[in-house]
Amino acid sequence: MRMKNVLVLALVALLAVFSVSAGGASEEDANVIKIGFIGPLTGDNANYGIRCSNAARLAINEINEAGGINGMQLQLIAEDSQGAVDRAISSYEKLAYTDNVVAIIGPVFTSPALAVAQRCYEDGIVMITPSATHKDVTSVGNWVYRTVPSDSLQSEVAAHYFYEVLGYRSIACLYAMNDYSQGLAEGVEEIFTALGGTITSMQTCMVGDRDFRTQLGEIRSTNPEAIYIPNYTVEDAQILEQASQLGMSIPFLSSDGFSDPEIYNLAGDFTEGVIYVGPAQAEASTLLSDFQEAYSAAYNGDAPDSFATNSYDAMYILRDAVTRVFENGGALSDIDAFRSMVNDEMKATDDFQGANGTINFAANGDMVASQGVYRVENQTPIYLGSFQVVDNHIVQVD
Amino acid sequence: MTTLIQYLQYFLNGITLGAIYALIALGYTMVYGILKFINFAHGDILMVGAYTGLLTYTALLGDSTNGAWMLIAFFLAMLVSMAFCAILGMFIEKVAYKPLRNANRLAPLLSAIGVSFILSNGAAWIFGTQSRRFPYPFDDTPIVIAGLSITPHQILTIVVSIIMMIVLTSFVNKTRMGKAMRATSLDQPTSELMGIDVNHVISMTFAIGSALAAVGGILASFDFRVSASMGTMTGLKAFVAAVIGGIGNIQGAMLGGIILGILESVGAPLLGIPSSLRDAIAFAVLIIILLVKPDGILGKNEREKV
Repeated sequence: MRMKNVLVLALVALLAVFSVSAGGASEEDANVIKIGFIGPLTGDNANYGIRCSNAARLAINEINEAGGINGMQLQLIAEDSQGAVDRAISSYEKLAYTDNVVAIIGPVFTSPALAVAQRCYEDGIVMITPSATHKDVTSVGNWVYRTVPSDSLQSEVAAHYFYEVLGYRSIACLYAMNDYSQGLAEGVEEIFTALGGTITSMQTCMVGDRDFRTQLGEIRSTNPEAIYIPNYTVEDAQILEQASQLGMSIPFLSSDGFSDPEIYNLAGDFTEGVIYVGPAQAEASTLLSDFQEAYSAAYNGDAPDSFATNSYDAMYILRDAVTRVFENGGALSDIDAFRSMVNDEMKATDDFQGANGTINFAANGDMVASQGVYRVENQTPIYLGSFQVVDNHIVQVD
Repeated sequence: MTTLIQYLQYFLNGITLGAIYALIALGYTMVYGILKFINFAHGDILMVGAYTGLLTYTALLGDSTNGAWMLIAFFLAMLVSMAFCAILGMFIEKVAYKPLRNANRLAPLLSAIGVSFILSNGAAWIFGTQSRRFPYPFDDTPIVIAGLSITPHQILTIVVSIIMMIVLTSFVNKTRMGKAMRATSLDQPTSELMGIDVNHVISMTFAIGSALAAVGGILASFDFRVSASMGTMTGLKAFVAAVIGGIGNIQGAMLGGIILGILESVGAPLLGIPSSLRDAIAFAVLIIILLVKPDGILGKNEREKV
């Protein structure tokens, strides 16, 4: 009995010491502007999250080297969501309540982004996702921004491009049951059908499935002119390879998930001829090439994907907003007011010049953008141009 | 409309999937037969087998593109991986299961789950979490006959699985060690009294089961890719296959594996439901089978005699 009491006392003492030292640490941190990041840093889709957080960290290092903001240094606190909603929520809670970040970049994937967007709205924290494309992400409150075009924009351009430019009248879709893939597939289905085309088959799979031969067989029997596969790289790679194993020679169409170079490691030559709709290529600017060089130099020659570029831009947009907050007298000591001012300044973003070109936000926080179309040749995406839909017709912008 | 030829195609794909499940199910069923214990780390052994195979194969191959050497290197890699996994299997048994043999039945089960996490987290730490390709050691251009297509790697999967099953069956039925295994599975204390070295039999069971898992892992890499988490779902399905066939029964494990593979491939189009529900369909059918025959298709109904 006595032994137990001693143990309990020792524990209490230990806890007390820890809480004091933790308190001390946060005092010292008062001169650091913390930015949160949520994305998959481990797991099958870690390639997306790692590149996005790397790009944000690169931007922060550059900003810090240039003197930081208002004499303060920036710090990126990157939390691993593993691409899962529950993990993303606990990451969010740590960032929002323990780390007291001024804003959050991420989440990288759509489903976690939808969940975290709701919490950001409730707590009043700016969230900028570099990659979550579901049309509903920005419809949760007015604290959410994105530096990636919305799905509705992407599926609109995709459906018009397939119908008007490629001249397809019948296509099939094979998509995973997650918000990202389903959102795109259903968007294309709706618009392609409205244009007068036929969707011969809507086949589904689960994220993590590795055998798509049954779905591909079903699609083949409906004889479409092309197959639309708006999925992440691991699934898309497997679909392309198995289609070839089944002796199918139907062309494949894909989405911005295909812009991650990991696809060439996984699917190699099976990617030949795939046409995908993704981010528009920025006007030839030194900002983009400088970013790509700096990224490559900082991360062992790795090449950034389009989402990483978006993440880099998001960080600089945020820097500008935070800079203006300080100019308007904001102080980190009142974190709630500060966060609210950051939101006001995000809305004031006007013709931001980033690696992706000129960025403006629509009233709902969506990026105003056109879409790029690419065709894969010899494991390299060839840029076919950037497009917008005007008056229900596709128009090439450049 | 799904045509007959398509169903045949799905059937064929299902058999390839099923052959892999069957190979892995053998390991579950052998261990259960002898120890009445589910080795939940078995799925992760297949992952270790896949990585060992991949690393050995790439190391042996070097820059060579010689077709014959690729095949030889592939089979050598398979042997190395089988040997490595056999030793690993025996080691795990000695360290994590043997000390618990007389403990509460739940203790070795938890120990197995612990080993499973150690293996998969360890692999994720060493190799990273990204999926990797296992390069084909041959030209994998599909062979199309009468609208049915089959790839060389599918043929390889089926052939290797059949060979492994024949070898295993004759080993268990024809050799002294096989006889000792059968005796141990029937009645361990009596076998011990008859002079059978039960510890040795158990070690051999783990070695053989793990070597089969290594083969299953390498064959599965072509279809599932190599990743630290590849063993989880594949292992779970193989376990289910073993239960369906009648756990503890070697022929049952093979049958269960093939049935599960075919159900997964054919189930969704046959019932006209979305393919994303394929696992749900397969498992629903399995529940029905178990309701009708709780001991599995080939399982013996052994009641305790009063």
